[in-house]
Amino acid sequence: MHTRIEILAPTEDGRAKNIEKTLETLGVTAKVRAVDVFSTESDAAQKDVFSRSLANPVTQKINKTPTDFNWALEIGFLAGVTDNVGHTTSELLELATGYGEECYSSKLYLIKGDAAREKIEELARIISNKLIQRISIKSHDEYMSDGGMDTVIPKVRLSDNISVADDVNLDIADGELEELSRYGIANKDGTKRGPLGLPMPYLKAIQSYFKDEGRKATDIELETLAQTWSEHCKHTIFASPIDNVADGHYKGYIKRATKEIRAARGDDDICVSVFSDNAGGIIFDDNYLITDKVETHNSPSALDPFGGAITGIVGVNRDCMGFGMGAKPVVNRYGFCLADPRKTPNYFRDKSCTDALLPPSNIMNGVIAGVEAGGNCSGIPTPAGFVYFDDRFAGKPLVFVGTVGLIPREINGKPGHEKCALAGDKIVVVGGRVGADGIHGATFSSVALDEGSPATAVQIGDPITQKKMSDAIIKELRGFSDENGGWYNAITDNGAGGLSSSVGEMAEGSGGFHLELEKVPLKYAGLSPWEIWISESQERMTFAVPEENTDKMVEFFARRGVEATVIGTYTDSGRAVISWNGDSIMDLDMDFLHDGNPETPLKTTFTRGGEIEPDLSEPESYEVALSDMLKRTNIASKEFIATQYDHNVQGSAVLGPLQGIGRVYAETSVSRPALDSSKGVVLSQGLFPRYSDIDTAAMAAAGLDMAVRNAVAAGVDFTQLALLDNFCWCSSDEPERLGQLKRAVEVIYEMAVKYQTPFISGKDSMFNDFKGYDENGEAIKVSAPPTLLVSSIGVMPDIKHSISIAPKAAGDLVYLLGTTKDELGASEYYDELGHLGNNVPETDAHQNLRLYKLYARCSRDLLISSAMAVGYGGLGVTLAKKAIAGGFGMDIDLSKLDLRADKLLFSESTGRIVVTVAPQNKKAFERNFKGFEQCHMIGSVAYSENLFIRDILNVRVEELEQSYKSTFKDY
Amino acid sequence: MTKVIVLSGYGLNCEEETLHAFNHVGIEGNIRHINDLIESPKELEEYQILAVPGGFSYGDDTGSGNAFAQKIKLALWDELQAFISRDTLTIGICNGCQILVNLGLVPALNNYGERDVAVTHNESARYQCRWIDLKINGNSSSPWLKDIETLHVPVAHGEGRFMMDDKTLEQLQSNGQISAQYINDNGEFAKGEFPVNPNGSISDIAAITDKTGRILAMMPHPERGMFTWQRDDYHELKDAAQRGGSDLFEESEGMEIFKNAAKYFS
Repeated sequence: MHTRIEILAPTEDGRAKNIEKTLETLGVTAKVRAVDVFSTESDAAQKDVFSRSLANPVTQKINKTPTDFNWALEIGFLAGVTDNVGHTTSELLELATGYGEECYSSKLYLIKGDAAREKIEELARIISNKLIQRISIKSHDEYMSDGGMDTVIPKVRLSDNISVADDVNLDIADGELEELSRYGIANKDGTKRGPLGLPMPYLKAIQSYFKDEGRKATDIELETLAQTWSEHCKHTIFASPIDNVADGHYKGYIKRATKEIRAARGDDDICVSVFSDNAGGIIFDDNYLITDKVETHNSPSALDPFGGAITGIVGVNRDCMGFGMGAKPVVNRYGFCLADPRKTPNYFRDKSCTDALLPPSNIMNGVIAGVEAGGNCSGIPTPAGFVYFDDRFAGKPLVFVGTVGLIPREINGKPGHEKCALAGDKIVVVGGRVGADGIHGATFSSVALDEGSPATAVQIGDPITQKKMSDAIIKELRGFSDENGGWYNAITDNGAGGLSSSVGEMAEGSGGFHLELEKVPLKYAGLSPWEIWISESQERMTFAVPEENTDKMVEFFARRGVEATVIGTYTDSGRAVISWNGDSIMDLDMDFLHDGNPETPLKTTFTRGGEIEPDLSEPESYEVALSDMLKRTNIASKEFIATQYDHNVQGSAVLGPLQGIGRVYAETSVSRPALDSSKGVVLSQGLFPRYSDIDTAAMAAAGLDMAVRNAVAAGVDFTQLALLDNFCWCSSDEPERLGQLKRAVEVIYEMAVKYQTPFISGKDSMFNDFKGYDENGEAIKVSAPPTLLVSSIGVMPDIKHSISIAPKAAGDLVYLLGTTKDELGASEYYDELGHLGNNVPETDAHQNLRLYKLYARCSRDLLISSAMAVGYGGLGVTLAKKAIAGGFGMDIDLSKLDLRADKLLFSESTGRIVVTVAPQNKKAFERNFKGFEQCHMIGSVAYSENLFIRDILNVRVEELEQSYKSTFKDY
Repeated sequence: MTKVIVLSGYGLNCEEETLHAFNHVGIEGNIRHINDLIESPKELEEYQILAVPGGFSYGDDTGSGNAFAQKIKLALWDELQAFISRDTLTIGICNGCQILVNLGLVPALNNYGERDVAVTHNESARYQCRWIDLKINGNSSSPWLKDIETLHVPVAHGEGRFMMDDKTLEQLQSNGQISAQYINDNGEFAKGEFPVNPNGSISDIAAITDKTGRILAMMPHPERGMFTWQRDDYHELKDAAQRGGSDLFEESEGMEIFKNAAKYFS
C-alpha cells in the first residue's frame, strides 16, 4: 500500500495567489489553495512523526484537504526526472523513522471558481512542462467519487535484461555506416539507441581501426568514440583547417592572440592557466588566482527552460570546482538571448502541428527561474548578467552561464592550478548517482506504477547535492594533506559525456585507465554499461587519488553526506580499458581515442548583408522618440531579474546590478571575492547579435569593445583585463555561415592583440537552428543570428576605484569621450522604425585604445565621479539612464558635434563613454585628455528635474524613468 | 575568551562572512559542520555564542529551515537546550532565522521547542534580494540590539514572511519580542507595502527574539551590511567623502549587532 501525505498551505500562500493571477489572464476568477503532496511506495511512511516533520503546525494542515472547490489540478514529475523536494523528503523520512525509502513530491492546486475544463487544461499547460511533468485534473465530482486524487509513484522500472556489450559489425557498406551513424546501434528488439552523429570520414577511420585490430567494435566503444569526437567535445569546426588557415580558427586566431599577448607582455603577463583546464585563470594577487568560464546550455533550455538553465549554472559551477585542484565559486554570470515574451509565434516540431514549441514567455520565465534556483541555492552571488531580445531566438534561446572562481596560487606546497593523474592512482567518482539522464537527447523508457507510457528524462540540476559536495571539496578536502602532500592528484567535473569524458581526459595525464564499470553507483537498476559510461547525470566530480588515501577520502565524504566510490585505476598502458564484472568490454588505443579523428577541411564564402541606408526624416518629437527607445526590450529595466538573484551573498558585492537611487539595471559588476584583500574583480560583457545581419565583423568587434569598455568605465586596471569568447552560431555546415564566422574570428584576434586583452577560455555552440513547421504545416527554419558573446574579467587594485553609472552631484560636468558617427545600421533605433540600414558601427580599435589608456589614468587618480559606456540606443539612452540612475536632471548641449540630432542621439558608434566629473577635478581631468581630440564637454548635471538637450528635447526625468521601467513592470 | 560556533552543512552558505563579522569585533570562533557537531555534541560547551548563518539548507524543500531544524531536533536537542540555558547568545540569520523558528527557539512563548510562528513564502511568491530599512523596537531587551535604532541592511530570501495568529502577535508585542520591523523611506512602518516590506510579513516583522532576548532570529543579513563598501549607496558615500575631503567609515550599521555580542561578554 502507498502513502500519500497532503500538506495544506495557508490561504495567503503566495504560490496560490500567483495561480489566481494566471487564471485571471485566462478570464477565470477563482480562489486557489496550494497543497504540497508527498508520496511513497510503501506504507512505512504513514507515521505521524514523519508527516509532522513535513508541516508547520502554525500555518499548515496535514491531510485535511478541503473539498469546497470546483477543480483539482495536480502536477508531479515523470519517472526518472530529478525531484529535489522528493530527495529532501526521503532524508527526512530516514531521520524521523530510521527507515529509508524514495519519496516523490507533487503540487496540488484546489481551484474554487467557475471554469470550463479547457481553462484548467490551459492553466496546466502554462505552469507545467509535459516533457518532465505529469498532470492530473479532476472536477469536484470526479474527486469525490474517486475519493481524492490518485497516488502516483513515478518510480523508474527498467528491464533487468540489459545487454552488457553488443558487438557491432563495421565491415559494412558506406550506406549502412551512414544509417548506423544517423539512427544508432540496434537493440535486440530492432529499436535504435539514438544517433551517433559521426560524419563519414570519422566512420571510415573507425572502420579501419577495428579492421587493424582484427575484431568487431563493441557498442560502448562506438558510443565512446562518438562522444569523444563530437562537435560538442572536440569543437571540430574551430579545430579544422579552414580555407587557407591550416591551424584552424582556434589555434590560428583565438589561441594565437593569447600566445602573442603573453609573449609581448613578458613579466607583466597576467595569464596563468589558459585553454587547458575547465576554466581560464589569471593573477588576482600574491595569494590567489581568479578563474572564469562561460558556458552555453541552449538546446536543453529550449526543451525544458528551467531544467536547462539550472543544469547549466550548476554545471559551470563544477567547471570552476574542476579548475586546477579546485577553485571556490565566487560569482555567477548569466545571459539570455530570447524572443520577445509578449509575442506568441506558432512553431511546431511536427507537420501536423500538434507538438508546439514552448512560447517565449514560458522560456523566459523558465530560464530566469532555473538560474535563480541554481545560483541562490548554491550560495554564489549572481550580480552580473544581461538579457537580449530578438524574435529569431524563438526556436533556440541562448542561455549563457558563467562562474568566476578563486583559488590559492599554492595548495599543499604545489601550484594550485596544476594537476596530473598518475599511473596507479585510483579513479574516484564523487557526488550524485548515475541514471539515464541526458543519454542521446535524454529519451528512455520507464514505467510508472499506474502509467503505461514511456517518459522522457531531461537533466535537472540538484544544487543541494552539489553544494554538499562543493563545500566538502573546496572548503575542506582541498586543504587536507599528510607527509606525501594533498590527498588527491587531480580533479575534474562530469559534464557532457559524463564519465567517458572526465575519465578519458584525466587519463591523458597518466597515459591510460582501467575502469570497473559495475562499481559505479546507480540511481536504479537496469542501465546497460554503455549508458552508465556516457550518462550525463549531474553533480559528480572525478578524482585521481593515490591508493593509500582512498579509504579516508571515501570516509570523509560520507561524513559530509556525500557518496564517493572507487571505480578503477589510472594506468600508463596507453589503452582505455573498461571491464564489467571482470570481462573486458572496451579496449581502445588512447591516441586513437583522443586524436584519431581525421581532419575535415572547411571552405567559406562571405557576402555582406544589410539594405540601402534609409533616408528618414527626423522624429516629430524627440521626447516621444527617447521614451519609445527606453521602452524597448533591449533597453528597458530588467530589475525584476536582478532582485530575484541573490547578488550579495558571500558579502562580496561592491557594485551591483542595480545602480544609483534610480536603480538602473547595469551590465557591469564589481565584487570583492576575498574579504582579506581590498582588490576588486570587474565583470562585464558585450554582444550585438543584430549587427550580424549586416556584417559579423562589426558584430564581433562591437561585442569585444563593449566588454572591454564596460570594464574600463567601471574602473578596471586596463592592464589586468582578460576575455572569454562564446560563439553561438547557426547552420555551421554552410560555407556562407562559416564565412561569417571567419570574419568574426579574424577581427577579434586583431582587436584582442591591439588591446592586449588575452582570451583565457571559450566555448562554442554551432547549430542554433530550429527546423520545424509553421501553423500551416509549412516547413520553416528559424536560425539564431550569429552571436559572439565576449565576457570580460579584470582586477582593480582597490575597490575604492570602482565607478558607478549614477551621477553624484548637481553642478558636475558631463563629458562625452569618443567619436559619434552616422552609424545607425542594425541599431535599436532603426529596428524601432522597422529598418536595418547599412551603416553598422565600425570599431576603431586604435583610437579606442588611446582613450582607454587615458581613461584608466583618470580612474586610477579618482577623477571620475560616474561613468557609463554608450551601448544599445546610443548617447540619448545613455544620458537618460544616467539621469534616472542619479535622480538628477542634466543640461546638455550637443551643438558642437556635427551630426543630425537623431543620429547624434541614437547612433551606436562604439568606443564611447559618458562621464561626470566634479568641478574641482575639471582641470586635472582635462589635462589628462590633452591632445585627445575626442573629449567633449557636453554639459552639466543640473539642479533641475529635466533632461534638457539644447534644441532637441526637454523632458522630466521622472517621465523617462516611467518609460524605462514600464515594459517589464508586471514581470 | 568569548568563542562563537558558526554552523555549516547541507546548504547553509553564509558561514564564512558570518564568522568574519565576529572575528572583526574580536570574537574568535569556528565553523563546524552540523554532522561533526552531532558526532561530538559536547563541543557546544566550549562556546558562548551560536550562530546559524544564512543559506538554503536542504534547498528550502518542505519549507525553509524545516528539514535542518528536524535534524537538530532529533540529534542535538538536549545539548542545544543546555546551551541556551547557560548565559549564552544565539543568532539565526535568514535561513538561520527560519531554522530557529522551526526549532521553536523563538518566540518560545510557552516552551522552547514549540513552534508558535511560521516564516513562509513571500507574498510575491518570489525571491527578493534588496536593501531595506529596519526600526529596532525600543521595547526589545535583546542584548544583540542594544542602542541600535535603525539598520540599513539587505534581505535575500524567498520565504521571509512571518505569520502567526492575532493572539500570538499580541503576546509578542507586549513581551517586547518583536525586535525589528521594516520601515519606509520616511521612517514609518512599511504597513505591508512592497517593496519596503519585501515579503508581506505580518506587522512588518523582520526579526523576533525569545523572551530573554538572548536568542535573535532575523531575516535580514547584518553581515552583508557590516562594511561601508558593501552598501548599496557605497559609491554615493565614497564620492561625497572624497569631495568633502573626509574619510569613509570602514564599518557600517550591520556591524553593530556583532559589536553588541562582544560587549555582552566583555
